[in-house]
Amino acid sequence: MEKEQYTNYENEILVAILSRTISFLNDEMGITVISKNPEISSPKKVELKKNTAMIATGGSVQVLITMGYDDVLLEKLMEAFLEGEEIDEEEIDEIRESVSSEVINIIVGNALTNPIDDTVLNITPPILIYEAKSLFKHKSSKIAAATIKTNFGDMLLSIIGPKESFVNELNFKEL
Amino acid sequence: MLNVLVVDDSLIIRKNLHKYLVKLGHNVVEESKTGAQAVEDCKKFKPNLVTMDITMPDMDGITAVKKIREFDKDVSIIMITSHGQEDMVVSSLKAGAQGYILKPVNEEKLAKSIGALFQDYNTEADDELLDDY
Repeated sequence: MEKEQYTNYENEILVAILSRTISFLNDEMGITVISKNPEISSPKKVELKKNTAMIATGGSVQVLITMGYDDVLLEKLMEAFLEGEEIDEEEIDEIRESVSSEVINIIVGNALTNPIDDTVLNITPPILIYEAKSLFKHKSSKIAAATIKTNFGDMLLSIIGPKESFVNELNFKEL
Repeated sequence: MLNVLVVDDSLIIRKNLHKYLVKLGHNVVEESKTGAQAVEDCKKFKPNLVTMDITMPDMDGITAVKKIREFDKDVSIIMITSHGQEDMVVSSLKAGAQGYILKPVNEEKLAKSIGALFQDYNTEADDELLDDY
């Protein structure tokens, strides 16, 4: 764990996203979250899961947010999105990609709000990360990460951004 | 019953919108994966309603709305969007869309939006859903 030189603003982003993720999984997807208060770390390196989606925020706060899913968790999310509808074999990969993107889009979009002027932070469309194994922290960047454990596998969340943006600009609230 | 064109690059969103619209008693005339395809499908199928994603490859939803408005002033267009895309929602409304639905989309939200645009088309099922709000 890196020694903190700055205040823990990055944790605030992650706490907001963790809170929304847990309620999304529990209440909307029917997936029981085992770790109600996941530990937040500031690692130099994050090992990415095979199924990882990424989104960026724009405007006054510019960070990258990754969300990685264990296979079994992504399968369960697909089931929840499909609501019992059967799909063709050739549609499975595309459905998996759409669900991976939609989950991060919905969660991040709903979690990040500026409480001062009540505006919502802009987010980019999600992208999927293939064949990348890990993220490394640059000297001027900062990573906050946490793992949510569920009864259908884990979800790894990480926030990557410049240290400066964590100091002055962030105003997040949990919804 | 409305004839609806569903536009979204996400297969799961297209599938769910299609399912909800059919359950609400409407007819999905086509599913378009891109903005450009949506413009062509709008000319071809002449729907009453278009559900339009904002961010898509090839041509985004805002541009597609502008192009559709060049030849069809009457079709109703509802944008499907996420929190965090508010600027683009405003642009879409200025371009000619009449409303928007924030993800996650569900049957209730869809019924409410359609009901607001097409009061004459409300089915009993729509009314029951709207009563819940």
